[in-house]
Amino acid sequence: MNFSFSKKQVDFKNQVIAFAQDNLNSNVIAEDYKSLFSKKKWKKCADFGIQSLASYKNEQLDVLTATLAMEGLGYGCKDNGLPFALNAQMWTVQLPIIHFGNEEQKDLFLTPLVKGNQIACHALTEPEAGSDVFSMKTTAQKTEGGYILNGTKQYITLGPEADVALVFAVTNPKLGKWGLSAFLVEKGTKGFTQSSSKQKMGMRTVPFGDLVFNECFVSEKNRLGKEGAGWAIVNHSLELDRCFVFASQLGAMERQLEESINYVKKREQFGKSIGSFQSVSNRIAEMKLRLETSRLLLYKVAWLKNEGKSALLESSLLKLHLSESFVSSSIDAIRNHGGYGYVSENEVERDLRDAVGGIIYAGTSDIQKNIISKILGL
Amino acid sequence: MINTIINYIADNLINEPLDDDLEPEDDLLGSGIVDSMGMMRLIAFIENEYDLKVAPDEMVIENFMTVENIVEYITTKNKQQ
Repeated sequence: MNFSFSKKQVDFKNQVIAFAQDNLNSNVIAEDYKSLFSKKKWKKCADFGIQSLASYKNEQLDVLTATLAMEGLGYGCKDNGLPFALNAQMWTVQLPIIHFGNEEQKDLFLTPLVKGNQIACHALTEPEAGSDVFSMKTTAQKTEGGYILNGTKQYITLGPEADVALVFAVTNPKLGKWGLSAFLVEKGTKGFTQSSSKQKMGMRTVPFGDLVFNECFVSEKNRLGKEGAGWAIVNHSLELDRCFVFASQLGAMERQLEESINYVKKREQFGKSIGSFQSVSNRIAEMKLRLETSRLLLYKVAWLKNEGKSALLESSLLKLHLSESFVSSSIDAIRNHGGYGYVSENEVERDLRDAVGGIIYAGTSDIQKNIISKILGL
Repeated sequence: MINTIINYIADNLINEPLDDDLEPEDDLLGSGIVDSMGMMRLIAFIENEYDLKVAPDEMVIENFMTVENIVEYITTKNKQQ
């Protein structure tokens, strides 16, 4: 295991930070307040090359470079929602198309995603299939030239804005998990409706809603991979998705810690800086410990995946520890800032609202603990 | 090879105790003998034990439904390497 990054990797991370700070931090308070998604910023990210990190012209994904880049994006971009949404598309839609798509599908679907001209979502969760996701009810019945899709996908990141949805459905119920297949369904397809975006606690700049399929015909050409490849498609990008999503959150935690340190150094009460009070400095020390332990877990997962190795246990440890740490440190950041931190316009409390989602999506903290203990033989 | 894989599954991956011994022709994932995470752990075990890399598009029913399928897949894969 070697965590020393090359100059090229570090330089690229710094370029991403500079890009994000210069281009992505305007209007964030209003966009959060009004739950607005910025297609303009999305396009800027594509023009810079963020979405290209998962490109079919770059099939050998450099996990370490991409991890540092997404960490830099989380550090530089004050809106935690935008990196989250980008990660969702890049690693749960673009990457599966790279690995399972044919050349025609790569040209048709990947190119506009990488260029930022289109947006895609990963549609897996259903009303009755959350943590138990493979108990899905959406069906895809074979018919001449394609499939008829029926069912509902719920709480889909980017769902309301997506030009294309990667949808998982049961093609053969007799085969259990082997009977799932994946389909690329385009916006406007007859029988496919997208809800408006739902109001939520945090990550408000990310569109989030439901997809409904009612006798929706999808051509066989739009099936991703073989019939029955759904299980493999869901699982193959799972560890990488956790790595990159939480790389961005690690960047946000680093930004949060620096802002807290600057504030407690400058803010004076009782004639001295509040950072000199042990109750405050101890909190800063705890935030630093959470940041660095999260970083070690993240880099270990990135290193394992870069080596082509399994990281089942490590990615669960990462997901559990980093997401819970971000919540704890976000509360500490508000404590450090006092009343100033509680007021939305000062951009401290937003991190807490954004962090809470992390202990729920992509496998709740409870599920991560179950996975970890099961791997340990319990 | 069959016994090594069966023993690994029986010792590490089975969800609920089985009425009978695990057989080479039992459907592992489809029948719920192992869950999704268990199958991913089995694939990681096979990669380490038999020094091979399972490509994402090879994680299909033809290769991983039963222990018999897995042994056939490993044998074919090793011949190709």
